[in-house]
Amino acid sequence: MTRATFETMGTVVSLDGPESPALLDAVRAVFDAADRRFSLYRPDSELRRIADGSLELLDASAELREVYATALGWRGETGGAFTPHRPDGTVDLNGIVKAWAMAEAGRALGDGDWCLNVGGDVLVSGAAGSGAPWVVGIVDPADRAGLLTGLPLVGGRRAAATSGSAERGDHIWTRGREAAEFAQVTVLADDIVTADVLATAIVSGGSATLDDLTARFDIDVLTVARSGELRATPGIRELVTR
Amino acid sequence: MRRRAAVASVIASAGVLIAGFQIGSAVTAGRTPSTTGTGTTSGGSASNSGTSGGTSSGSTGTTGSSGPAKDGTFTGATEQTPFGPMQVAAVISGGKITDVKVLQKTNQGGRSVQISNQADPMLRSEVLQAQSANVSTIGGATYTSEGYLMSLQAALDQAGFTG
Repeated sequence: MTRATFETMGTVVSLDGPESPALLDAVRAVFDAADRRFSLYRPDSELRRIADGSLELLDASAELREVYATALGWRGETGGAFTPHRPDGTVDLNGIVKAWAMAEAGRALGDGDWCLNVGGDVLVSGAAGSGAPWVVGIVDPADRAGLLTGLPLVGGRRAAATSGSAERGDHIWTRGREAAEFAQVTVLADDIVTADVLATAIVSGGSATLDDLTARFDIDVLTVARSGELRATPGIRELVTR
Repeated sequence: MRRRAAVASVIASAGVLIAGFQIGSAVTAGRTPSTTGTGTTSGGSASNSGTSGGTSSGSTGTTGSSGPAKDGTFTGATEQTPFGPMQVAAVISGGKITDVKVLQKTNQGGRSVQISNQADPMLRSEVLQAQSANVSTIGGATYTSEGYLMSLQAALDQAGFTG
């Protein structure tokens, strides 16, 4: 088991896994390709050209249309709490591209023991070096040098995504609210896209969305309110008291 | 016919008991009850109360019929409960209910799932019971490359620490 790190998509990837340059290259290629296609900061990216109006959405690559369609599907699933559109109407796929690329990278990595951390979102396979489950330490949004807790990924849970405004400011669009109700939301799910999208949706939609999504999806959720109050679903309780 | 009706009534009452059990277990259940694992556990745990409730209903039914209820597994119709549609089966052996299984529990309406998977307030001291010293990786709200440099994950990476 070895750890490699590299920068992509404006953040840093940390990968624990077998020492394999070929595998690392494959993972890097997935993220670099996603960045070239979906970054709104690159003047030549496909998504930037759609935002500029120089490329019609219908003429876009199958990959871009697939990601956009997936994002629209999630908008429906979350009652609009997750949306691939900025308030001005620009298509912004940032909310889903990272997780989507992580899922792609996970397929490239295949089975085996590995842990992929991209800017604080985590996808794992197998077990940690010691044979124990991978444990994700959850940062305390009030003290980013401290941890709130450690959550082992067990029982089919392979993904942990955390959204919030603790570091980047309100990068998640909230619906008509001055400030998000939750400073940080962590969602555990069996796949990283579900975890990431629903974490974003709960930050955006607040406790009404939290109640709705925990009722309808097989997820475990830990929220930190701006007041500092924690809320946790039973699955999280079980994990922290085992 | 009467025996079948008795069985149906037993199953219906078992269904109510299971529904009651769902409330009782809601806070401690680890996963959403939509998963097979919890469904089976619920049925198994509910079988004790199901047996006591079922025995009385069952003997009422037996009084009017010529013999003990036939052994076997009897599947009830889908019942509408305040916790969503639910279908149960009673396993009858020697004239008594020996097990009650939840066969199907749909999420339509979803209220039972909401009850059991709702996020409730938790104390910091409670979540800290987890052994955070054993973490393999750090999860946090999206950090930029710049933010990463000051993050715990960066510290872990620099230390060459792997799980």
